[in-house]
Amino acid sequence: MRRAFTAIIFALLLAHAPALANVLVTDLSKDQISIRGDFTGETLLLFGAIDPTPHGPVDGVVVVLRGPGESVTLRKKQKSFGIWVNQQAYRMGPLPGFLATVSSAPLSDLAPAEERRQLNIGAAQLDAALLSGTAGAREKQEALQAFVRLKTADALFDENAQAVEIIDDRLFRAEIKLPAGMPVGRYVTEFFAFKNGRVVGYRTGELPVDIVGAGHILGEAAHHQSLLYGLSGVALAVFMGWGVAAIFRRR
Amino acid sequence: MQIYLPIAEMSAHIMTLIGMGGLVGFMSGMFGVGGGFLMTPLLIFIGVPPAVAVASEANQIVASSVSGGLAYWQRRAIDVPMGLILMAGGLVGSYSGVQIFKALRAQGHVDLLISLSYVLFLSVIGLLMLRESVQALNARRLGNPVRARRPGQHSWILGLPFRMRFRRSKLYISVIPPVIIGFFVGMMSAIMGVGGGFIMVPAMIYILRMPTNVVIGTSLFQIIFVTASVTVFHAVENQTLDIVLAVLLMIGGVIGAQIGAYAGQRLQGEQLRALLALIVLAVGARLLFDLIVEPQELYSISAMSSAGETP
Repeated sequence: MRRAFTAIIFALLLAHAPALANVLVTDLSKDQISIRGDFTGETLLLFGAIDPTPHGPVDGVVVVLRGPGESVTLRKKQKSFGIWVNQQAYRMGPLPGFLATVSSAPLSDLAPAEERRQLNIGAAQLDAALLSGTAGAREKQEALQAFVRLKTADALFDENAQAVEIIDDRLFRAEIKLPAGMPVGRYVTEFFAFKNGRVVGYRTGELPVDIVGAGHILGEAAHHQSLLYGLSGVALAVFMGWGVAAIFRRR
Repeated sequence: MQIYLPIAEMSAHIMTLIGMGGLVGFMSGMFGVGGGFLMTPLLIFIGVPPAVAVASEANQIVASSVSGGLAYWQRRAIDVPMGLILMAGGLVGSYSGVQIFKALRAQGHVDLLISLSYVLFLSVIGLLMLRESVQALNARRLGNPVRARRPGQHSWILGLPFRMRFRRSKLYISVIPPVIIGFFVGMMSAIMGVGGGFIMVPAMIYILRMPTNVVIGTSLFQIIFVTASVTVFHAVENQTLDIVLAVLLMIGGVIGAQIGAYAGQRLQGEQLRALLALIVLAVGARLLFDLIVEPQELYSISAMSSAGETP
């Protein structure tokens, strides 16, 4: 009995050997992102060490930064009466508001499609449930592709196969650009090291992104104290209009 | 310096916003028009979500009409009772406008509503202004003085029931027409982010037959209250008021308006008015173009998620 138990443990250990022999140690240049009034985006540095002892040099490293999931309404325009009008609406979710996938080589060179699908690497793997209405599989796929296209245009989605640099097979550094319009919330980082199409190193962590300072107070007030917020806007306007008139009259 | 606009969720250069406020303020100071009907489309062109542009511009107009209205208050060129009657209609109109806005926003049609309203109004106003300034230019060239149109006889509309005496306007008319005019202008204000002076002033002159010396002051007086209510209603119902954006526009706007008013007293108005008419038509044409030409991207993500949904 005891021998059998040991054998099972041993078998389990063997099966999970790559995961246990984690070759990655990772860190970020910042442990949180604060969006202030003058925030115009920044570059996040993600770096770490690779242990080449168990498997030799890895084939490549992939770093993923994923924003909080949210449900979105995607609308498609159609021409009616000579103008382009939103017609179909697809409510889907959850979908990440931010997704950067950077790697040291093209993703397809590092891992087969099936592996990437299982590990959920890359915007091509995005899927979401339709929250309302109906849509055929092709229609839904088109909508998802449009979602990726729109997010990419806003610099919120990015895939870059040259943004991870491996130094001497032992160190790596990745750069991810964070745009000004990035959504706030709890971001997740994921690091993958690949060897022969399989994961030999994996780390994950969190990165909180918050609006701080006056912007935060205003954002909170706009949503939770909206009457007071609106009245303050009016009060400011009256004060400003009156003040300027007074200044210019005196001259 | 770039500045982050917390509700629009974008960042823009601070001088772009103040500069836009200044330019539009200059034109409004010069020509005595509110400028909202140029500012809202400009904000949309630089990427501000239309719903945020409308609410924040309404807030800016509060500042510019207080600034302008004070001068008329001191000259006693405001018919307060008339202003209050117009305002009563205006408040109901602005509330209804915000509700329409909210309903269409949920269906994804509010951008279309804003664009269509602008195309309609900008082309009408642009053409009227152009016609007027061309006539004035021709008259000047021929040496004829421009004949001011004179109010004619009171029409039957003004004899409807609930008549009231308006001493400063020297009128004894029914309150129904001003309430209805106020209602429509208030609704327009809520949907388009304008003060509506460009509709209100002609309506006061040609429909209510008010004397021209109290028209602008009274119009500004009611615009203060109507745009203030539009600001508050949008803030509460749609949460689209961006105070940072509004304040930057105010700074530019109030300064621009003072300089514009100063310049307006010294410059030849007709050519500039023709130019303004062309600008108005160009903005309208651009909006129409965007509606008619097949967009490069047929899809859009609607920014509803921040309005209370937690992922």
